[in-house]
This record gives sequence, structure tokens and C-alpha cells, in this order.
Amino acid sequence: MNVVLTALVTSLAILVGVLTVTAWGIWFERKFSARLQSRLGPTMVGPVGLAQPLADLMKLLQKEDLVPEAADRAVFNLAPQIAALCALGAAAVVPFSAHIIGAQIDLGVLYLLAIGAVTVMPVFMAGWASNNKFALLGGMRALAQSLSYEVPLVLSAMVPVILAGSMDVSKIVEYQAAGSWIAIGPVWLGLPAFVLFLLAMLAESNRIPFDIPEAESELVAGITTEYSGMKFALFYLGEYVHTLVASAVASALFLGGWDGPFAPGLHWMVLKSLALFTFVYWVRWSLLRFRSDQLMKMCWYWLVPISVALLLGAGAWVVL
Amino acid sequence: MSNAWFWLLAAALCVSAVMVVRSRDLVRAVLWLALGLLLTAGLYAYLDAPFLAGVQVLTYVGGVATLMVFGVMVTRRHTSASAEASNDSNAVGVLAALGVFALLATAILKTDLPESSVPTQTTAELGRALLDTYLLAFEAVSLLLLAAIVGAVVIARRRDVETRETRGSATLPSIQVGRTEAE
Repeated sequence: MNVVLTALVTSLAILVGVLTVTAWGIWFERKFSARLQSRLGPTMVGPVGLAQPLADLMKLLQKEDLVPEAADRAVFNLAPQIAALCALGAAAVVPFSAHIIGAQIDLGVLYLLAIGAVTVMPVFMAGWASNNKFALLGGMRALAQSLSYEVPLVLSAMVPVILAGSMDVSKIVEYQAAGSWIAIGPVWLGLPAFVLFLLAMLAESNRIPFDIPEAESELVAGITTEYSGMKFALFYLGEYVHTLVASAVASALFLGGWDGPFAPGLHWMVLKSLALFTFVYWVRWSLLRFRSDQLMKMCWYWLVPISVALLLGAGAWVVL
Repeated sequence: MSNAWFWLLAAALCVSAVMVVRSRDLVRAVLWLALGLLLTAGLYAYLDAPFLAGVQVLTYVGGVATLMVFGVMVTRRHTSASAEASNDSNAVGVLAALGVFALLATAILKTDLPESSVPTQTTAELGRALLDTYLLAFEAVSLLLLAAIVGAVVIARRRDVETRETRGSATLPSIQVGRTEAE
């Protein structure tokens, strides 16, 4: 019973933590992007607009819940819930410190990849059930993109698995704490794998330069075109949670996770995750969007061959 | 208590399996199938085979179901949110399903299954078994998959070239014929 209770409390703490960080992560992104464009961002609600996420939440809760006449209601309503569920579910196996972890399972990396694979379904469901040309086009683009980028994502995630000899995310972090971080040791192997993982992760979470599925200048808002109120909020939230959790995963797999001097592990983990999170938004607000065919070409011509080579390299490094 | 999980999973799996074939809508059928595959992964996890469960989700839900969805999206005309699934061979389907069920049921009942639970195998042992004891089978399967990929590319390519050629050869004479008639 005690074990169950501990797990429940830890999971609840992680859930609340992730949601809180995400809410103010959105505030941070708005401020950050505003500064990049010589604007001020949110300033009205609370000091330096800090209460803006709460105001947004209140606004979204009050909005009318619209469902298009010709939509497939059941699928349409289910899609945002599954999207948010998948994004939050991935946080379960991320070790935020040596002890703060939702579920320590042997196959943590496999679990993460499996959850990532399921994430495609709600995107398709939303795109199809909306019965809207823009939503459908966005859904198709998202599917093609996720399907392609899953290959380099899985292969590059295998590099730390092979080096550490375990699929347990905690064990991978412990391996890095004992030796060197995977991103720098061996650097010819770890760094490209880290960059590949980051690129594939950006593509999976539909972030610029990979946000073709919801390119607002051509597709209105992609799969979220027909969504309003809380359902839109769930998609929006799911996307940010996905980016945040993916940053945490990347820092656990490649940047040593909670390993670091002077401060407790949790601080380092949060710091690294937020640094990556910021990097994602930096890229988002600095770069242009790719074209769909350029995106596919980059994946299949460059990322996949490189990731296969890295996988072989990792094997050779371990054996030799 | 633990048996309750099995019955819950099994019941849900049966419902989703029936819904796959009973759905009038193709997209809904695919979604029910995805749910069924997910529940199968749940059964694997319940049977202490977490690796199999993970791979099941990764390849079947993430790969197969997504590809089916892609097929529906690319091949159907998008006039409404529904894509009708035509199904006019119910009797044959029921017969085939019952036949397979009878075959599997007799096979399972006749096999002498061990009473005790199977010793849990770690992923490392699984990997070693694949690349050591069953290396030949593993390589044979890889070769088969490679052949399938190459075959798929060849089929896709050849049809493309053929249509271009036939179109070329068909249009050229017809233009000439048209001209001679006009003249």
C-alpha cells in the first residue's frame, strides 16, 4: 500500500509540476518572442503579465463549445483528450531527480517511443473528424511528417540506449553521472545523435521550422481550425506539454539528466529541460518554415542515413 | 484481482474487434482497430511481456494503423467526414471467422500448456536469444522484409513507367488517325 501511495503522490506532484511549468512556459514564450520582435508581450494582467496564463484559462473556459454540423462528433470530441493524455503520459517515466520519477520501468525508452507513436492518432482524428479541408490537409501533413521523422527519432534514441546498455531512463542517467554525458562522450557519436534527436523531436511536436501541419498562412490553423474553447485549449496545452516533456527526455538521454555539481538533481534537471525548451522557442521565432517536400527530403536523404550510421557507430564503440 | 484485469481487457478487446467489422465508417473501423491493437498490447503487458507490449504499440498502432489511416486519407474523396465501408460478404466473413476460431480453439485446447507462469525474460535475454540461438531465423526474416520492400518499390515503379509508355504509344497513333480522318 505504501508503494502505491508513494507512486500516487509522486505522480500527482509531477503532473502538477509539469502543468504549472507549461502554463508559465506559455507566458515565457510570449514574452520571449515579443522581445525578439521588439515588442513587450503580455503586460496587463498582474506584474509583467505574470497572471496572463490564468486569464487565458478563464477566457477559454467561458468560450462557447462549437462542434461543426457535419463533423463526426464522437471522434471530434475524443481527439483533444487523447492528445493531452499522450503528452502527459510521456512524463511518467522521465526521472526528474534520482528519486522523483512517476514510474521506474525497465523499458522506459521503449515506452516513450510507443507513446510518441500513439500521438499521431489524435492528430489524424481531429483532422478527419473536423470535416474541413484545411484541417484534413493539416492532418495529412502531420501524419506524413510524424511517420517519416519517427525513423530518425527511434534510431537516434537508440544511441544512448546502446552506450548505457539499458532502456531504463534512470539507468541511462546513472551511466552518464558515472562517466560523461552522452552528448559529449564520445563527442563524434553523442553530439550528432543529440542534434538528430532534437530535430526529430521538433518535427514530432510540430514546431517551426517543422510546423507545416498548422502553417497559419496557408492552412488557417491546420487540425485545430474547427476547435474552440476548452477543446482547443487541450490541443494547445498538449502541444506545449509535449515540447516540455520532450525537452526533459532529451536532457535525460543526452545531457546527463539530474547529474550536475553543487545543486540538487531536480534543479539541474529543470534547468536543462528549460534551457532546451527555450532553445526550441528561440528556433521557432528565428527561423522560417520549411516546405513540405524539403522536410521529407531532409528526413529521408539526410537524417535517416546519418542515424543508421550513428547506430552502427554506437555498436562499434561499445564492442571495441 | 489480477484476473479481473484480464477479463476487463479481454471484454474490451472483443468489443473493439466486433466494432472493427461492424462499423459502417471506414475511419471509425480503423480507429477501433487501433484501440484493439492497443488493448492487445495491454494483454501482453498483463502477461509479463513488457517488451512485446511496447513493440506492439510502436509497430501496430504507430505504424500499421497510421499507414491504414494514411491510405484512407489519400485514396478517398473528401466530401464528408465519413468514408463508407462496403461490406457485402457477411456470410463468408462469419464462416471464415468461425473456422479460424475453431482451428485456434482446438489447437490451444490440445496443447499442453504449463500451469506455472512463464519465467519473465529480460530484454537483454530476448536480444541475446534473437542474435544468438535464433540468428538464422532472424536473418531469414530480415531478408524477407528486405525483399518485400524491394518488391514494393519495383511494383510501384513499373506501373508508373508502363502507364507513361502506354499513354505515349496510345496517344501518338490516335493523333495521327485523327489527322488523317480530318484530311
